[in-house]
Amino acid sequence: MLSILLVDDDREFTDVASHIIDFLGHTVSVAGNLAEANEWLEHNHFDHILLDFMLPDGSGIHLMDRVQHLFPVPKVTFITGHPSVKSVIAELCGPKVDYLIKPIQRECLERLFNPVKQKAKKSSATKTNLHFNCLIGESEPMQALYTMIERVAASSANVMLMGESGVGKELVASAIHYASQASGDLVATNCGGLSKELISSELFGHEKGAFTGAVAQKIGVFERAKGGTLFLDEVTEMPLDMQPHLLRVLETKKLVRVGGTKEIAVDCRVVSATNRTLQNIAEQHILREDIYFRLAVFPIEIPPLRERAADIPLLAKAFLNQLNEDSGTSYQLTSTQLQRLASFDWPGNVRELRHTIHRAHIMSDPAKKEVELPASFASPFSIAQKEHTGLAAGKTIDEVEKELIYLTLKKVSGNKAMAADMLGVSVKTLYNRLSAYGGLGEFS
Amino acid sequence: MADLTAAELAKQVHDIRKPLNRISMQAELIKLVLENNLPPDKAIAAIDKILQSCQDCSQLLENLLNPSA
Repeated sequence: MLSILLVDDDREFTDVASHIIDFLGHTVSVAGNLAEANEWLEHNHFDHILLDFMLPDGSGIHLMDRVQHLFPVPKVTFITGHPSVKSVIAELCGPKVDYLIKPIQRECLERLFNPVKQKAKKSSATKTNLHFNCLIGESEPMQALYTMIERVAASSANVMLMGESGVGKELVASAIHYASQASGDLVATNCGGLSKELISSELFGHEKGAFTGAVAQKIGVFERAKGGTLFLDEVTEMPLDMQPHLLRVLETKKLVRVGGTKEIAVDCRVVSATNRTLQNIAEQHILREDIYFRLAVFPIEIPPLRERAADIPLLAKAFLNQLNEDSGTSYQLTSTQLQRLASFDWPGNVRELRHTIHRAHIMSDPAKKEVELPASFASPFSIAQKEHTGLAAGKTIDEVEKELIYLTLKKVSGNKAMAADMLGVSVKTLYNRLSAYGGLGEFS
Repeated sequence: MADLTAAELAKQVHDIRKPLNRISMQAELIKLVLENNLPPDKAIAAIDKILQSCQDCSQLLENLLNPSA
């Protein structure tokens, strides 16, 4: 049995709500305005406060200041008639605050007061909050991404996903598919992995006997994605001379199977992905302009992991939880380990992070509780990029100079004349610098 | 209705939601009474209140269309 304070200025509503809450087996006190609510709070303890957003003598939010200082802090549920107030309340929403929107249903009230269900809900929430059933991350760039996914899912526009390798383009594609609640399937194909000869048949299908080896009819991915989403990964790796075919299908929304004559209607959203930058696509003529505009009606840039470092601990824990679940282990990440993970810049993005966690999970000592992270995260793929990111605030000019000189020497395999030329100094100066650093080192 | 400002409209909509919310809660109460074989007089009182709220709701909608009336 809970003790509940109901604050609302609608007398009839409070009457009937008290009846219902009474039926549900809880005690209820009613206040018609903030002053009365304050009076109740003065001398009584409540487990739960149901609070109207707009009261005759002020907003329900004013009561929050006071409620936060009570001990123990009661759970607060705002009641509001405005769905728009949702966002305001969402900001206030600690774990102890949520909201109901009028008209209220009994199930909502029951759920509110049923601590068992509440707990179950909480534990699943702390597990990992999955956005669109597949995306993890609460950082600002991800929130912006979620908004975009939501908006574009409501339309039927073709989407082009851009982002570095390993940021999770395929996951974003399935998020869009999920959010669009399409009746059809999500069908994925990799344009980079298809030979020129096979790409038409993969995309559009072929009729039996269309070419040597076409022993049976084949339905292409465009047809298989009917009513759903077609994900074209590495679309920029598609041979240039194939692109007019694709363009025609996108423009006419009709296709003809290879070796066929019948026109078949195309009904799917095309989500394409590339890890090239827009500039790169345009400058190197990788995609024809007309096809770019067909595919990228709504371009989405997926942020690299280093731009959402706040999500790294969340992701790392989620990956580890998954591995633990799969192999029946219960390794944990310590907060120092999480910090180490969060301070690395992950040039291979989420894929690299997951690989690192996987490796650490395998390496871990079964006798210990925590996973064993490698001494260094640098993978062979990240070293090349690391060398260019030597600049950082807090380094002295001397340090940067030294780094630059050694880097240049390495690039020209220790040829000092060439290095001096590249650095814009005389060979003598270069030697002076090197000896100041304590000798030529590996370049002597 | 065109000269109604967004704020006024929001307020009116809020006012209309009020009787709707009452109706919804009274209906829930009736459901509880019937499910638990409680004395019917509570349900009858709730039904009367629902009917009244429907009238209120209708009146508010009328006001929205003809603010001058």
